[in-house]
Amino acid sequence: MLIKVFSAANLGLETIKVDVEVNLANRGLPGFEIVGLPDKAVDESKERVRAAIISSGVEFPMKKIIVNLAPADVPKEGSFYDLPIAIGILKSVLQFSLPEKSLFFGELSLDGSLRHTRGAFLLALFAKEAGLENLFVPKDSANEAAIIKGIRVYPVENLFELTSHFLGRKLIKPAIFKKSEIDERLPAPAEFDMKEILGQEQAKRAMEIAVAGSHNIIMIGSPGSGKTMLARALPGIMPPLSEEESLEVTKLYSATGNILPGGSLVTSRQFRAPHHTASQVGLIGGGVKPQPGEISLAHRGVLFLDEFSEFPRSVMEAMRQPLEDGYLTISRSKERVKYPADFMLVASANPCPCGYLNHPKKNCVCSSRQIKKYQKRISGPILDRIDLHIVVQPVDVEEFSENQKASEFLESSVKIKERVLAARQIQLERFKGEGIYTNAQMKNSQIKKYCRLTKEVEQILKQAGIRFQLSARSYMKMIKVARTIADLDGAEDIGISHMAEALQYRPKIYED
Amino acid sequence: MKKIMVNVIEIQDKKYPELLKKIKDAPKKLYYKGEFKNDIFENCLAVVGSRRLTSYGRRMTELLVSEIAVKGITIVSGFMYGGDEAAHRTAVEAGGRTIAVMPCGINVIHPEYQEDLYNKILNNNGLIISEFEGDLLPALWTYPKRNSIVAGLSKAVLVVEAGLNSGTLITTGFAKSFGRKIFAVPGPLTSEVSRGTAQLIKQGAEIVMDASDILKYFNISTIDSIKANSSKKNSNLIQLSALEKEIIEHLKTESLEADILARMLSIPISKISASLSLMQIKGFIGQEGDKYYIN
Repeated sequence: MLIKVFSAANLGLETIKVDVEVNLANRGLPGFEIVGLPDKAVDESKERVRAAIISSGVEFPMKKIIVNLAPADVPKEGSFYDLPIAIGILKSVLQFSLPEKSLFFGELSLDGSLRHTRGAFLLALFAKEAGLENLFVPKDSANEAAIIKGIRVYPVENLFELTSHFLGRKLIKPAIFKKSEIDERLPAPAEFDMKEILGQEQAKRAMEIAVAGSHNIIMIGSPGSGKTMLARALPGIMPPLSEEESLEVTKLYSATGNILPGGSLVTSRQFRAPHHTASQVGLIGGGVKPQPGEISLAHRGVLFLDEFSEFPRSVMEAMRQPLEDGYLTISRSKERVKYPADFMLVASANPCPCGYLNHPKKNCVCSSRQIKKYQKRISGPILDRIDLHIVVQPVDVEEFSENQKASEFLESSVKIKERVLAARQIQLERFKGEGIYTNAQMKNSQIKKYCRLTKEVEQILKQAGIRFQLSARSYMKMIKVARTIADLDGAEDIGISHMAEALQYRPKIYED
Repeated sequence: MKKIMVNVIEIQDKKYPELLKKIKDAPKKLYYKGEFKNDIFENCLAVVGSRRLTSYGRRMTELLVSEIAVKGITIVSGFMYGGDEAAHRTAVEAGGRTIAVMPCGINVIHPEYQEDLYNKILNNNGLIISEFEGDLLPALWTYPKRNSIVAGLSKAVLVVEAGLNSGTLITTGFAKSFGRKIFAVPGPLTSEVSRGTAQLIKQGAEIVMDASDILKYFNISTIDSIKANSSKKNSNLIQLSALEKEIIEHLKTESLEADILARMLSIPISKISASLSLMQIKGFIGQEGDKYYIN
């Protein structure tokens, strides 16, 4: 007897339909085989399925069982074929009929219950596109799949419940999408409020500008000067994801299994801070079966690279293309996968090997050759793609009077966020139909279109170009940053003061 | 890099610098690159400073050397990074002549990453000199030898910054034994590289307040140039806005960061930032690290 059940396979962010064909033969020795390029996890599903069926109170058929996963030439991986295989076998035993246009997906536990499985959101997307109507997924993954409207998502707790449903004894109610508190846990909230950071006025302002225009930023400063603290305060001033962006990020997080059980939409911008010992594959993405790396997980969010100069050169160079294009293509002989990676880079570095160059109190003990060598560790092309450069110096807390320490003198993250949101709104309206969201994404033609400079402003920029020896690319960066400053100011045109302020964040040290 | 001719001059030669000939253990042979004109040795001032030159040291070097070098005084130094490099570079940029005395064989550029400066010195009628031939690499014993030539060529030595027990003090030690004048730039005693200069002052070196102190020693009049400079500055300052004037007022006493200025004046950092950029473009203030100072 041949039974067909439908499931799907996720290849990167693409999903293809997989037919799970289950054949139970009365002839031959009893056995259980899976064919169709299963990987180890799929192959092991035999044991899980057998145990789960027995646990559900059904006798496992003593027949020769062959499961074929078609198309047979695409490698199948993961544990989510458990449910379709089990349903195929159960159908032959219990003789119930399956609703048409249904997709099954989920990992089984030995006791017959279903576990949270990665990729449910992608599956739901695919189901809708393919015109399918019913989706049977583990209960914990149902909220994630239910984001997609127009299909029925059945949250299945265990096999017994599902057989009861098909036998018409007790029906499962389709899940309705609801926002869950679990999503708030992603990412961790800001560790600091901006008002907890004393001094650092210019650095804080630079952070505000960076977030407002999604500009890449690098902080250079001695150990203990507060670089990390500034970065960790960033989530508190970041705008939430737009609906469109939210779906993009959710897709990535679902594919990588980063959505918590019961979770659903990723609504806030992610803050990823990988350590500099992370492997290139972990950071950029790749592997035998291409997986997204940290840069993709930071999509539409922030990638914070502390101690940037300690990152291996190869990793920095590999980041160039995604920084420019906003996505990464990983090619393997058998497949090509494209992962989005449009992130805001926040980097921090020491000015020299000992870290105390230009420190107000401590003496630097590095020779100029060591300093040059150290500063060359950061790749020039990467620096070229960073719009804002700031120097962070340690703050002498003693210097602050009680008056200045009082919080009313220091702006809170909430207040800064208000300005950021307003500036983002202006940008969204400006770039309607351009396919970009922020000033930092502007290409040269768009800069010409949206950042017209008056004669006086152009004059200032030209003079600055001579005095500060700005490169052609730096010119463009300055204009983009000035545009964001003008947006923060609510100004239509870029004024002299906006351009002049932008020039403060030009590349300083680390460029020769 | 194109090969530059290496020449030799021996101590019996008439063209051998007079002042150098007088010192004890004068080198028998001098290897050099560049055009060997005798007038370059007429008025030499050695300018030496710490390898770990602070921003203050660099500014003082620039301030003093630029004025001295344009008056035709040759700046002699040892081509090391830090103080020496600042002295050579300022002299070249001011259009003056400078002599670099190398601690290594004449064919070696040490430190090699200062090749651009090396070429600039030669292209601006300067000289590269060494007591050592060929490709000898610098060693502990070659540095004092180099220092004695730096002191020996010069009528006076200007010390901008020096640590205690530093190579700079070895140079001044030679200068003293040769009977040459020593000038020292005072600096804050909390800085390690000002303690050496303080010691020199204690021992009788002359304190330098501006370039005229040194120019007087070389019998060069200074009145007109300094006057012209200050009147030019004053007329420029009139164009400043109220905020810019306030910033200048604060920078007069010490160089400051943008953050501190914002705090002192209680003005948003965005405004301070914009003003600082504009003043920098106009040339009123300069920047070293993250601190601003008046030009």
